[in-house]
Amino acid sequence: MKLAVRALAGTRPILAAALALTLVAGGFAAWTGLGWYEASHDESAAYAVQRDRALAAAEQAVQNLNTLDHTKVDQGLDLWESSTTGDLHNQLVQGRSEFADQVKAAKTVTTARVLSGAVTELDDRAGRARVLVALRITVKAADDKSSEKDSRMLGELTRTGTHWKLSALGQAPVGGTASG
Amino acid sequence: MTRVPGKATEEHAESGAPPAAQGTVAQDTAGGGPEAAGEAAGGPEVPGEAAGGPEAAGEAAGGPEVPGEAAGGPEAADGAGGGSDGHGAPDGRGSGSRFGGRWHAAAFAAAVAVLLLGGSAFFYGAHQLRSTPSAQNRALTDTVATERVSGEVGDGLARIFSYTPTGADATARSARTVLGGRAARQYDDLFAQLRTNLETQKITLNTQAVRTGVIELDGDTARLLVLLDQTSRRDEGAGTSAAAQLTVTARFQENRWRIVDIKAR
Repeated sequence: MKLAVRALAGTRPILAAALALTLVAGGFAAWTGLGWYEASHDESAAYAVQRDRALAAAEQAVQNLNTLDHTKVDQGLDLWESSTTGDLHNQLVQGRSEFADQVKAAKTVTTARVLSGAVTELDDRAGRARVLVALRITVKAADDKSSEKDSRMLGELTRTGTHWKLSALGQAPVGGTASG
Repeated sequence: MTRVPGKATEEHAESGAPPAAQGTVAQDTAGGGPEAAGEAAGGPEVPGEAAGGPEAAGEAAGGPEVPGEAAGGPEAADGAGGGSDGHGAPDGRGSGSRFGGRWHAAAFAAAVAVLLLGGSAFFYGAHQLRSTPSAQNRALTDTVATERVSGEVGDGLARIFSYTPTGADATARSARTVLGGRAARQYDDLFAQLRTNLETQKITLNTQAVRTGVIELDGDTARLLVLLDQTSRRDEGAGTSAAAQLTVTARFQENRWRIVDIKAR
């Protein structure tokens, strides 16, 4: 017993210092661990990721839906269908054969380039988003003459599983009332 | 000697020593052989103290435990697994105390190193998570700032691209509060040319921002996509509507968002 006490007393200053050092290191680890946990469970960061995914999907889908080559109509329309969901998807499926005939008859090649896009609304939980997209559409007619047109579109996206897809798309009206 | 260790061990078990202590003894046994174990558990003072009953025995057995707890403690045991090997040794083996002290030091150093490394890894990980381009962009995630910048930019564009034949001064004045940087210089050049036509041909232009989307918002800089509707009228003629799409860079200066660059889309 006495020996044990003596042994303790002898090592105490070093022990105390070592203990303090360990506590400080432990405190540091706990503090940074908490910070890391908070960062990895940050809701606004997860929201920001969804926003960026929605925008990327919207820009790609809008470009897809404004691109069609009369020599590869089926391929193009397959892409249209895979970029969309909901009402817009149903409309495309229903009008597909009629539209394909029109494009084959007109012999046009339409390409589009997205100039800019932004998400204006995002409901992360419901999986819905609204976007603005400005794009330039080039239509090459049968006689090889091409015309360019700038277009601005409003799209609505719905999340299906982990992917965002267009569920509505239309031209932004000109001369309408101001909103959003 | 043969009996004492046996008894000490028995009482050890009776006194309900914590599993850690038993583990310590067991490991020690494996390391130093049965005799060393007896010494460690009983210690030189055991004969006197052992008579005192199980409590004393428990204390004696607990003696070597104390440094062990300080070394790693149960909560740090994961970081210094090797530390437990040295627990029983130092106080039990008089001659081996220097060796044991080194083990203690190593255990402490290992525990501290593990904690510091772990802490640094967490720190770095958190920094990585916070500095992704997604997380840095506050568009929509900071709703107040997003609404403010879209409101001020949309409003500003409507003001600088709306003019009447007699109100050119008012438009030029508002341009000074709305614009900054490159956009201000470009606008001055443009407006100087426009101004003569404006007065002679009696042109009225009315601009509205119909949709505004914030592409990027990072601190005091923002990029927006703005859809404009413009109605122009010459003299008393019918108005014609046109659509315009702009990407605008705005900077927060003097407590308001100023448009510093405009690109037609």
